Amino acid sequence: MVLDIISAVLIFLGAVLSLAAAVGLVRFGDLLSRMHASAKPQVLGLVLVAVAIAIQFPTWATVTTLAIIISFQLVTIPVATHMVGRAGYRTKHLRRSMLYRDELAEAVDRAEAREIAWERQRGTGTDHHDG
Amino acid sequence: MSEIVLHSLVVAGSVLLAASVVIALFRIVRGPSILDRMIGTDVVLAAIMCGLGGYMALSDRTDLLPVLIVLAMLGFVGSVSVSRYVSKSDSMTPGAEAGALSEFSASDWHMPRDADEQGAGPGSTSEPQARPGDDVTEIADVTYDAHADSGGEGEGTGPDPGPDDAEHVSDGDGQESNRGS
Repeated sequence: MVLDIISAVLIFLGAVLSLAAAVGLVRFGDLLSRMHASAKPQVLGLVLVAVAIAIQFPTWATVTTLAIIISFQLVTIPVATHMVGRAGYRTKHLRRSMLYRDELAEAVDRAEAREIAWERQRGTGTDHHDG
Repeated sequence: MSEIVLHSLVVAGSVLLAASVVIALFRIVRGPSILDRMIGTDVVLAAIMCGLGGYMALSDRTDLLPVLIVLAMLGFVGSVSVSRYVSKSDSMTPGAEAGALSEFSASDWHMPRDADEQGAGPGSTSEPQARPGDDVTEIADVTYDAHADSGGEGEGTGPDPGPDDAEHVSDGDGQESNRGS
């Protein structure tokens, strides 16, 4: 009975994290801020719920399956979030005024300068370019 | 006493999960861009996973564990595919590296970047009647390019832009049927 209450408390905490993510999703005014808010229940809420399941069924089959689920989520969520953030950066879906420092802009400037130099070199007819 | 605590915790958790799903649906409806809608969908999916896990923990349903794996995979594939669709400059097309940050649009998916330079003359003249500019002819061009590459009978080197293919279809129908068989 105590284990039931412990797992119910863990599930309640996961639900609280999910609600916090939803509130942050509505309240924040930027794509990157919303990504920051929405990443919380995807990993931590799922870990809490998985611990609740493992408390209820402490068998090897259940625990290993939960470990597979959590490790899969830990591997894939950063990749998906990175790709969403990159798409948001490239399609200008962010507020510049909310950024303290944009380190990617310097790299984009360097890449564009290199591209312009390469286009100019190809336009003059010289076909030896290092790349 | 502990029964009351357990039931109140379960009811409160389900109410919070339902509220978070409703609020995330509000963001999906309101969202200014498709990426905001994708993030809202991720939150809905996380709430579904939490609710399913709680249901599994409290009602002896460990046979639903593969559903959690499938839901995790679904969220990953959805986010990656939507972001790949949105950022049009991601392309594995050869020759697209030079324009990877500036002027590479979604209509250039199936042709290399220097195709408009080597075929600039006939492309600019025969473009209005060959390609009226809607998406149907673009899709037809994609299938036709793949077909011509597999046949290997084309006179050009590499995949050609659309207008050359269109006039090639217009002047040789028997050849085209031979190639189709």
